[in-house]
Amino acid sequence: MVRAQARVLWRTRGRCVEEHRIWGDAVIIRLETVTKRYPNGHVALDDVSLTIPRGEFVFVVGPSGAGKSSLIRLLYHEEVPTSGEVYVDQFRLGRLRRGQVPRLRRLLGVVFQDVRLLPDRDVYHNVAFAMQVVEASPRDIKKRVPQMLELVGLQARSHHFPHQLSGGEQQRVGLARALVNNPHYLLADEPTGNLDPETAEGIVKLLSEINRRGATVVMATHARDIVNRMNRRVLAIEGGRLVRDDARGRYEEEGPARTTWLSTVSHEA
Amino acid sequence: MGYFWREAARGVRHTGWMSVASVLTVSVALFVLGVFGVLSINLEHAANALNRQVELQAYFKPSMKPAAEHAFLAALKHEPGVRRVIFVSKTQALGQLKKEFPHDTTLWQLISQGNPLLDGFQVYTKQPRQIPPLARTLRKSPDVGQVVYQATVVSRLTVVTRILRTGGYVVEALLAFATLFIIANTIRLGVFARRREIAVMKLVGATDWFIRWPFLLEGIYLGLMGAVLASAAVIVGYHWVFHTAAHVVAFFPLAGVSVIERSTMETTGVGGVAVGLLGSLWALRRFLRV
Repeated sequence: MVRAQARVLWRTRGRCVEEHRIWGDAVIIRLETVTKRYPNGHVALDDVSLTIPRGEFVFVVGPSGAGKSSLIRLLYHEEVPTSGEVYVDQFRLGRLRRGQVPRLRRLLGVVFQDVRLLPDRDVYHNVAFAMQVVEASPRDIKKRVPQMLELVGLQARSHHFPHQLSGGEQQRVGLARALVNNPHYLLADEPTGNLDPETAEGIVKLLSEINRRGATVVMATHARDIVNRMNRRVLAIEGGRLVRDDARGRYEEEGPARTTWLSTVSHEA
Repeated sequence: MGYFWREAARGVRHTGWMSVASVLTVSVALFVLGVFGVLSINLEHAANALNRQVELQAYFKPSMKPAAEHAFLAALKHEPGVRRVIFVSKTQALGQLKKEFPHDTTLWQLISQGNPLLDGFQVYTKQPRQIPPLARTLRKSPDVGQVVYQATVVSRLTVVTRILRTGGYVVEALLAFATLFIIANTIRLGVFARRREIAVMKLVGATDWFIRWPFLLEGIYLGLMGAVLASAAVIVGYHWVFHTAAHVVAFFPLAGVSVIERSTMETTGVGGVAVGLLGSLWALRRFLRV
């Protein structure tokens, strides 16, 4: 039964935000006592449990190497947990069969700090590529790609190649590529890491616009200013442990000034 | 489908010289396959030609009178399966012998004292397999002294064909390995060159088969290119052999050019596709496990 529903959802991806209501306000991302230990013995995540309801905008903060990226990678099934269980939408990722991975990924949009554009394709084709790969019709591609480029403000750049773009423009292409297939979830791993504050601001504005349109956004970041200004839910990870979960949080824990100062220094180092 | 071919062509361009190398390797392997094919078809052809010519030769007993001999042959003509009966008198046989050995003086001396040969006859049957039963019947006849037929030649030719085939399989198996190896390596290079694309494809939810198809087509394409080169070489070569042979030994039983052309294109084509497909499948076996 669940699989039949999943199939319907998958086929009607174009209108997925409406379709998604059939799942109600269920919790759609859930980690249960998740531990991730890499073969070299490094423990990236240590007994982390959390839930993210549909439509939420969540920041994941913490120092470098704290486990933010590992958390994101678990969500798009680049990694599997050593123990515990990860649920995303109707998928239980520890039990995901190989053939189901593409179905999960089609619900997700993922952006990275190092955008990962294809250097030998122009902006238009970098975005169109994501639609070709999920076998969208050429007509849909022709219609949808310009819409996405317009959303990220790059319609004038569509025949430029990645190396002709600034970092912020590249990231916007990455964002267009992540969004072109109408994902339910947007996972962003340090999307503003290489950008100047103003450009970063633009990217985050786009993310919250996407969130406003119904997608759940999980963003791992170092950008204290952005987190503090947005005033959204904050998950803080340190040494692989979830140390804080504030519904309307700030980058650093509100407490004695001394602690704040120390953690700030360590972040900037 | 257009997408897959475009991507496959992109792949061939990406890997450049490696593609050329694998096409050449494939064509060498398929050329050898084609040559074996030509040889075995020709041996078969020769065996068939001999089979068609197979005759049965028999000799009357010396006591037979010419009239009785003719009556016997007239009756034989009406036996089932008999196509043609030719009478060979001992005088004719002597003439034949002289023609075959014109310089053998001992033989001349021996037979000039009186013809020791016998009257005989050749029988052609409608089908080769009708010969052995006919030979048995004739042997039982009180008028017939000796019966000879060429079954042994045909069966030897069959043995030669079989040996050639077996040898061909062994050589082909070895070549097939080499070919698979180089195709797999070419495809692997292509996969490596396009690992970023593959990573993005997976990230946005491409199925494994969607990612594999261009590479499989690339393998098939390399195999087919090799097949085209190989069959062109074999066919051109065979044309040459055929025409040369026609000048030198006019009646040599070579298989027709069109038969060879068709079978060469078929075997090399199938071989090329098979080796390309298997090579790329081999290369793709593991890479998607990310």
